[in-house]
Amino acid sequence: MNATGEPRPVLKSPGHSGRRRDAFVSLCSGLPGGPTAVVAALLVLMPVVLPSRTMATEILIFAMATLACNLLLGYGGLLSFGQAIFFGSGAYLSSLVMMHGGFGLLPALLTAAVAGAILAALVGALAIRRTGIYFVMMTLAFNQTAYFIAYTLSDWTGGDNGLLDVPRPPLTLFGVTLADLSDATAYYVFTAVLFFLIFIAVRKVIASPFGSTLIAVRENEARAGALGYDTRNFKITAFALSGAVTAPAGALYAMLLNFAPLENIQLSMSENIVIMTVIGGTGSLLGSLLGAGSWVIISDILAEIWPRWLILTGGALILIVLYLPGGLWGGVESLMRRFRGGGTPHAPDGIPNNDGSTAQPME
Amino acid sequence: MLYLFQVLNGLGLGMIYFLISAGLTIIFGLLNFVNFAHGAFFMLGGYLCWSLTELTGSFWISLLAGPPVVALLAWAAEVTLIRRIYRLPHTFHILVTVGIALILQETTIMIWGPIGKSIPVPDGLQGIVTLWNFAYPTYRLFLIAFTALIGFALWYLLERTRFGGLVRAGSESTEMVALLGTNIHRLFARTFALGVGLAGLAGILSAPIRGIHPFMGPEVLGVAFVVVVIGGMGSFTGALLGGLLVGLVQSLMSTIWPEGASLMIYGTMAAVILLRPYGLFGRA
Amino acid sequence: MNDRHILTTENLSLSYGGFRAVDKVNLRVKRRTVHSVIGPNGAGKTSLFHCLTGGRRPTGGRILFKGEEITDRPAHARAASGMARSFQITSLFQNLTVRENLRLASQGRDGNGALVFWRSVNARKEHVEFADSIMERLGMVRKAAVAAGDLSHGHQRLLEVGMALCGKPELLLLDEPTAGMGVNDIPMMTDLIADLGKEYSVMLIEHNMGIVMAVSDTITVMSRGGVLVEGKPEEVRADPRVREAYLGEVA
Repeated sequence: MNATGEPRPVLKSPGHSGRRRDAFVSLCSGLPGGPTAVVAALLVLMPVVLPSRTMATEILIFAMATLACNLLLGYGGLLSFGQAIFFGSGAYLSSLVMMHGGFGLLPALLTAAVAGAILAALVGALAIRRTGIYFVMMTLAFNQTAYFIAYTLSDWTGGDNGLLDVPRPPLTLFGVTLADLSDATAYYVFTAVLFFLIFIAVRKVIASPFGSTLIAVRENEARAGALGYDTRNFKITAFALSGAVTAPAGALYAMLLNFAPLENIQLSMSENIVIMTVIGGTGSLLGSLLGAGSWVIISDILAEIWPRWLILTGGALILIVLYLPGGLWGGVESLMRRFRGGGTPHAPDGIPNNDGSTAQPME
Repeated sequence: MLYLFQVLNGLGLGMIYFLISAGLTIIFGLLNFVNFAHGAFFMLGGYLCWSLTELTGSFWISLLAGPPVVALLAWAAEVTLIRRIYRLPHTFHILVTVGIALILQETTIMIWGPIGKSIPVPDGLQGIVTLWNFAYPTYRLFLIAFTALIGFALWYLLERTRFGGLVRAGSESTEMVALLGTNIHRLFARTFALGVGLAGLAGILSAPIRGIHPFMGPEVLGVAFVVVVIGGMGSFTGALLGGLLVGLVQSLMSTIWPEGASLMIYGTMAAVILLRPYGLFGRA
Repeated sequence: MNDRHILTTENLSLSYGGFRAVDKVNLRVKRRTVHSVIGPNGAGKTSLFHCLTGGRRPTGGRILFKGEEITDRPAHARAASGMARSFQITSLFQNLTVRENLRLASQGRDGNGALVFWRSVNARKEHVEFADSIMERLGMVRKAAVAAGDLSHGHQRLLEVGMALCGKPELLLLDEPTAGMGVNDIPMMTDLIADLGKEYSVMLIEHNMGIVMAVSDTITVMSRGGVLVEGKPEEVRADPRVREAYLGEVA
């Protein structure tokens, strides 16, 4: 590397000096009312347009997990193949405290959130002892660890059979029952409200000093350190927040299915969450909803016709990485920009690099 | 005696892990490329072994023909797709190879079905060898000897041949090798094929012991990552010692706490990371 | 303890295997002066700089900053104690705007205080204001909304120094601030550094002799890891050993 503008080593990955002007994408600033209004509108529309309330609920649950993954990948540049640890643990823990501890709905979700945050901070603290690919490999290895733990503790988790008869208690607050959620519509409304609150919260987090610094750490970790930031603390906090959102998503999923399968904590679940994030678009929160939505809808349609539809997902992932690194949402935005003509620069887009820079393919 | 049995098992298993990790690490060393499809190619090796053995009736033919087929597939993937993404950050490598792994896994299910298969121990290696009063399965003994031979051949290839010299020089400086007039594209494609071929070979060798199923890829990938996190990426010796360590831990644990044997592999990794963040042989 | 010196090193050494990149270097940087370190290629300037910023752990000797030992402190802790650095290879947040770069640099003073995720960035007005004041000083107000990666090289170098200033440091460590700059941009940087020397303590590592002679109060010449000569610019210029060291490089 040098500062004199000589060509960089041809076959090594681009470092900090790569120019990525195209990486500026407006965060849907062109939309009326901004992203929050768009999400609100979508939450109302989804149950009307989609074939079932259950499907709409499933989309929102995975969108929560994707949102949390996006916080790590899109804003922190941390590619985690360990998200299923938090998703699965959230499912198991909330189910167990409901089944054996007599916990109600909100306390169970809160337990999942707190446990998810602690677990994620632990996993994050260990994994970020190494950077770059080692970091990614370790998140994957930790996911395997969690899987084997869940498999071994079959007395609690049900092992291969999964945890059966997970309840879906009514929504109560201070002993007052507010709503019975056994009906699919009621459960959708509850999930939608929760999703909306989480969406707003994550937006706030990104616009906070923490969020802006997290982006800085992703962009250039060495510089962030030189400016006085202990970058490890920012990464660990990002993990904790991610876990605090992912685990309740797992809990909601178990209540939706009345069942907590072992798959929830498998590596393939982590992969799915990452794929939804990338396909939807990293670094944009609406992209997460789009990613989760298209995944659930496509899997629902294709699973009937062609059980091996995951081949398409693999292909889609490759194509997106090569040709549309901003994901589907990035594609939508560039279309909108073409119609409207420009937007204001906001958060950068594109799949971030582990060594702390965003990059776009050569094409 | 039980422990000797398990130590030998651990050696065999460890050598399998070594082959997988060595492939991963050779590719990373020269190409600076992270192959998350490595486990899927291992699985493919196992399935090719099954099909070729069914087809020809001989394990030996599959052992001979299987790795080249896997390597050829890897070569094709390199030439058509992977070559185009070397320049991109590691995150892109990971996502693209995760995509490849998914495609391989689902294609395997499409061709061979979702249920696992077992492969008979090859002719001539069935039964046991008895030394004094210690009995040990012949195939497992063969496995240790054969993988040791492959390991030696690999060492010879990397350290004593022109190809190996180029791979090692290229790991230090790709431009230097290019300046020396080597066709760097060809070198990269061959190295990728070699590394992935090793995973295929490992898949074939372990098939008669552990059977095959379409979801074994991620499992193997996880173990390979533990080995390279312990031993250090890009290090041949690290892959060997890391592989043996993991193999021995897993094998010895399986007598003490069978359900937790796999778990212990990851426990070992966590311990190494806590005590020596850069691995047993790694430097900052 | 001598209060006139903001930074001192005692027998600072850094070896790679058997090679002594930095060999028992004793430096004393006076407050509110520009102290430059020069030397031919391979003299150990960059290794010395790494030791000072916390990029490398010295293999021997001590570093004292404001009288406190900081030899083993990590980079972010040095920044927190009032030391700021620029990078030889431009190291900016390429995709973020000039203003955001400077705001982040200013916010760096909060250290872990920046972990608050429940408040808005706008709650900390002082950082935006400070960033704007630095932007003015750099003469880059018009570039506020431009992505750092889109700036000209000269402006990137300026921003690089500006980010270091945002930490309100007592000591500025500048690593070849003119590296790769065009001839036309250099006076802009020279003026800035000379100006900074009145307010801050500046330690400058530089290749360009013209700049060093123009802005420095003290010059340390390094050769083969050690200190060859130290003195005022005119003394250094006249010293035959310096000439020899540089000529040796050419021959």
